[in-house]
Amino acid sequence: MTAPVATGRLSVGIVKFASCDGCQLSLLDLEDELLEVVGKFDIVEFPEASSVRSSGPYDVLLVEGSISTEDQRREIAELRGKAKTLVTIGACASYGGIQALRNWVDHDAVRAAVYAHPEYIESLATATPVREHVKVDAELHGCPINQDQLRELLASVALGRRPQIREEAVCLDCKRRGNVCVLVASGMPCLGPVTQGGCGALCPTYGRGCYGCFGPKELANARSLADSFLDGREAADVGRLFAGFTAYAEPFRSIVTEFGGTRMDPAGPATPTAASEGGNDR
Amino acid sequence: MVAGTPPDVSGPDAARSIELAIAPATPRSGPWFLLRANLQVLIDELRADGRRVIGPTVADGAIVLDEITTVAELPEGWGDRQEAGQYRLERRRDRKLFGFNNGPASWKRFTFPPVVPLNVGRREGRAVTFEPAAVDPPRLAFLGVRGCELAALGIQDRVFLGGPYTDEDYRARRAAAFVVAVNCTTAAPTCFCTSMGTGPEIRGGHDLVLTELDEGFLVRAGSEAGADLLARLPVKAADAGQIFRAAEAIGKVAATIGDPLPTAGLHDRLLVQFDSPRWAEIAERCLMCANCSMVCPTCFCSSVTQKSDLDGHVSTSERVWDFCFTASFARVAGGNFRNRPRDRYRQWLTHKFATWIDQFGTFGCVGCGRCIAWCPVGIDVREELMAIAPPLETRREPAEHPPAAASPTEYATARIEAVRTETADVSTLVLGGLDPAFVTGRSGQFAMVTVPAYPPLPISISRYLREGIELTIRAAGPATAMLIGLGVGAELGVRGPLGTGWPLERAVGRDIVIVTGGIGLAPLRPLVDAIRAQRERFGAVRLYYGARTPADMLYRHELESWAADGSMDVALTVDRADESWHGPVGVVTHLFDRTTWDGSRAVAFVCGPERMMQATVDSLEERGFSHDRIFVTLERHMECGIGLCGHCQMGSLFVCKDGPVFALCDLGQVFGREGI
Repeated sequence: MTAPVATGRLSVGIVKFASCDGCQLSLLDLEDELLEVVGKFDIVEFPEASSVRSSGPYDVLLVEGSISTEDQRREIAELRGKAKTLVTIGACASYGGIQALRNWVDHDAVRAAVYAHPEYIESLATATPVREHVKVDAELHGCPINQDQLRELLASVALGRRPQIREEAVCLDCKRRGNVCVLVASGMPCLGPVTQGGCGALCPTYGRGCYGCFGPKELANARSLADSFLDGREAADVGRLFAGFTAYAEPFRSIVTEFGGTRMDPAGPATPTAASEGGNDR
Repeated sequence: MVAGTPPDVSGPDAARSIELAIAPATPRSGPWFLLRANLQVLIDELRADGRRVIGPTVADGAIVLDEITTVAELPEGWGDRQEAGQYRLERRRDRKLFGFNNGPASWKRFTFPPVVPLNVGRREGRAVTFEPAAVDPPRLAFLGVRGCELAALGIQDRVFLGGPYTDEDYRARRAAAFVVAVNCTTAAPTCFCTSMGTGPEIRGGHDLVLTELDEGFLVRAGSEAGADLLARLPVKAADAGQIFRAAEAIGKVAATIGDPLPTAGLHDRLLVQFDSPRWAEIAERCLMCANCSMVCPTCFCSSVTQKSDLDGHVSTSERVWDFCFTASFARVAGGNFRNRPRDRYRQWLTHKFATWIDQFGTFGCVGCGRCIAWCPVGIDVREELMAIAPPLETRREPAEHPPAAASPTEYATARIEAVRTETADVSTLVLGGLDPAFVTGRSGQFAMVTVPAYPPLPISISRYLREGIELTIRAAGPATAMLIGLGVGAELGVRGPLGTGWPLERAVGRDIVIVTGGIGLAPLRPLVDAIRAQRERFGAVRLYYGARTPADMLYRHELESWAADGSMDVALTVDRADESWHGPVGVVTHLFDRTTWDGSRAVAFVCGPERMMQATVDSLEERGFSHDRIFVTLERHMECGIGLCGHCQMGSLFVCKDGPVFALCDLGQVFGREGI
């Protein structure tokens, strides 16, 4: 990334693949700061806000959703060529999302069981993160993403510096907020210790264990946490805790594969691609 | 006696308690007795002094610290069951108000809050300003501080207030807090204050201390302010039975805890175990989640986070809790000094139980047991220490403090007067408009440099001018690239000069060898300037410098002139030659092979990547150099630059404050070791 000319406005596009649109709504959630953003950037494509489409090129392309169909696979490759900086937003684009649970089951069997005419359904056997298809310059995590992180990302692009986004467990914000640890004080399983922060420890603040929306943190020791959950629980129940919005992200993926917990056949991911990103030195 | 009346110190009860000599107390300090029904008066009096009272109360399945206004909010009849990785509230059989053990939060969140505003930086055109946040802490009273907790406050006092640089936010918060301590009459299996020498009995640092009995509280004052408040409480002199029962209750707790972590020689036992296989085994279980250090009442590390507008005109900086377990804690532009989980756990544990002693004269642990109970996977530090650390050796003296900086804690503004391109990715900024004290810094010192909306960076001072300094910066990332790109006339914020300098005085009358590579020449250039300014005081001076390619060589013309005017021998080498290069090719230590000089009386100054410095040290040793005559300068992640944020710890040293220049003999076994 290089700093733009001070007077130049940067073009920002937002596109979506298999996703719920919640992440792009985070841009609208900036509310007070939205004016600042549109003052600085030309938002040339934003399906949740406008029907105007753009053919690029984009200084910044925010990509929501996982790659779930053959058309999407083609489209993301084309878009990459038009984007100076490509940023995935959210758990779907960055990790495959909840729909990546299908990577553990027999796609054709499910399609046949659900649809009267499965031959009309043009879906890939897997839902995969954008990173598996094209080069990604930055990823914003979360389900949905955090609007402050989105804003910081835009600021970093505008200023030509690295985004200042902390890499740490959910526990850090949880403790900074003064929450009582739900895991230790009530035995509730919580993925916070192995999950990247960014949500402000939303769920534990309301007395729930973390669901892992932001995906594994750096050096996430999911194995140790999963083993500790086994005390009084079935393996599949432990696996299911990791089988959420970021199930397809290693090392959560290995836990889900090994412990089970996907509703169908826990035979393993349909595409066991390059195993561990960000594993431990064990 | 009624509320608000001073205790009658000449009364018969008071006289008897002194006669009994069970407690060597002054009449003003007690021991007095406060009926349980009158505890509310204590809260009311504290509030009448304009204080918010922070005390224990039940919330979310634990005993937490929060503002209270009535005794009814205290955890009456509540206790707890704690073990490694587990905490549960439990009903007690009695109605004790302080019959519980430490809960999840320590008092540090009030003296060292998780988030504290630091400053607002503004940038208008080329001018920048930094406005420090106002320090105006609330007046608080802490009700129910235990012995271990009080010891922890004392430890943070040493960290934040005991050195040459202090944390004024902490000072103000600490000064604004009145401490009502409570002796422990209960213990959890996670407690080990007895081993750490911090409890269960309160031994100082309090304004008042209470010991709870069924019918009320034994009260003593520990300060003038405490005695003043005590005089306003409806107390009577404690009787001998009450004094005895209080002492007995505390004694029982001590006996229950025993001595689960024998600490004799622990410092040395631990520091000989850097290579223990146990570190990797702990890393199999450790989640790197930092919960142990977050609940620790002494952990003091922090980072600066910034939020800027999209134009970079205004940015607000905050200091937030940070910990040696997080990804970026020891990261620098080229990588991470502690990449592996085992490195991070080792850093934490050896700091708490060994190197903290070298730095601050105490353990960094008070035995509160929180790190054991609140570890999600139940790692018990006592067990780990006992497994890792057998027999002993001797202890090192703490490092000397460097001279105080011109502007150590707040950013002063400097103006870029010139920018010189040195190589394709290195430029030198000439700064003017500085505090005059800045230009009297020492060679080898550094400055923290920033503009609003960008993270502050430690940059070596590469020359002192009559009214300014030079900073030679390599564009290692966007922030450094931005600094280089600011251009003449722009302002930036600087703090410093910071850290230790090259001890040139050690080289008077001796030969000097300077060995460096790449950008490492920059912090050595002021040293060369100083040598040339008083050349006759030194023997032969030899400078060896290696660069990747001829085009990556810094200060090419200056190097030539230093050789040409006879002030030193200059030998250059490159990793990859081009057609312009006719000199040697290869690593810098190979240059020694061409020479015959003897290093048995010489002094060496070395700066470069750690691997290059290690190789250089090996070569210098062969030449007869002893470790007290080899000086190196180290790079680490730095944020505060004054030994308060904890990022740059290297064993018992803070690289920013105790270094960056070190005699090799002071680094000991940590030099060149992976994961420190």
